[in-house]
Amino acid sequence: MSFARPRVFAGLQHRLVLAPRSSVTRSQLLAYRLLSTSSNRHAQHVQKPELTSDLTNRTPHRHGVSTPQYDPQGNEIDPYKGGPSAIDKAVHIFFFTEIIRGMWIVLENFFRPPYTIMYPFEKGPLSPRFRGEHALRRYPSGEERCIACKLCEAICPAQAITIESEARVDGSRKTTRYDIDMTKCIYCGFCQEACPVDAIVETQNQEFSTETREELLYNKEKLLANGDRAEAEIAANLYSEHVYR
Amino acid sequence: MVSLIRTVRNMQRVGLREWWRQMQYIGDAKSGRLVGQDQFGNKYFENLNPEEEIPGRHRWVDYSQHFYHASQVPPEWHSWLQHIRQNPPAEDPVMQASSPSWKAPWVENLTGTRGAYRPYNTTTPKVQAWDPKTAPRS
Repeated sequence: MSFARPRVFAGLQHRLVLAPRSSVTRSQLLAYRLLSTSSNRHAQHVQKPELTSDLTNRTPHRHGVSTPQYDPQGNEIDPYKGGPSAIDKAVHIFFFTEIIRGMWIVLENFFRPPYTIMYPFEKGPLSPRFRGEHALRRYPSGEERCIACKLCEAICPAQAITIESEARVDGSRKTTRYDIDMTKCIYCGFCQEACPVDAIVETQNQEFSTETREELLYNKEKLLANGDRAEAEIAANLYSEHVYR
Repeated sequence: MVSLIRTVRNMQRVGLREWWRQMQYIGDAKSGRLVGQDQFGNKYFENLNPEEEIPGRHRWVDYSQHFYHASQVPPEWHSWLQHIRQNPPAEDPVMQASSPSWKAPWVENLTGTRGAYRPYNTTTPKVQAWDPKTAPRS
């Protein structure tokens, strides 16, 4: 690692040392020609007010240089006194004991029952507040809950929701368009928190991956169908969380 | 190798035929109590003994279809399988009470098939093309 660096430095030094030994004119020529590469031997020092960064005073000490510590009697303290000796370190390096210790842990776990959860046969625990695929819910009578207040559209940070609404014949305002771009959605759950009638919810379903991108552009019918299928699970989750809401 | 004693014990319990089926699908010999069966024929098992199953692996499903997919689990059983609810849906009063009459049958994720969802517009078009109508000349 560190063997290459001194050699490179020596090679550079060889050229740098040769340059000042040549004659004055040649050195001046060199200095004129190789102004960019030569060191600033000929540069005139211009007296300017000193620009100091005060960095050296603020840093306690430079890297790699340790200041010796002294005890009250004035004797220098050896910071490595209680540590392992060089032979101890060499033994651990040459007999790679750390690797053997790591391999022993692997061997122990080889004979233990596996911790791997074999998805999709076994699944990990999920919270009733988990935010997965969206769904639009209905009232127990079957009437759709959404009143097109557009609070979810307003609060959506990814602007994934698009709503258009119109009044029905009976005077109730319902959505004609409720599109969620699931490719934009960040599953933050703000829509279900903003909803005053618990219409838009995020179900526990997370297995809705699709082959094409357009299948993730959900419209109102798809969202209502999601809600109709998973209503029992949604309602049970909302019931288990109702004491915290 | 998954703890030879456990494999042999579970193989003795479930029998060679079932063990072979498990090795084809789950890939691990498991034995437990049959908790129930959903409308698609998927069987749900549970083994709450922490000496026999690592906690977290104590609930599992045996899919009825050969081409199994995680979305073939209906939502009621899904919340039992993912440890959201403690009791299976048949014994869960909350789950029983919150099933409305208009509940639609569960459909698995149909992506990649002909039944896949395709988005469409749910509104009437806002721009109507001009349809010229000429009054009949008498």
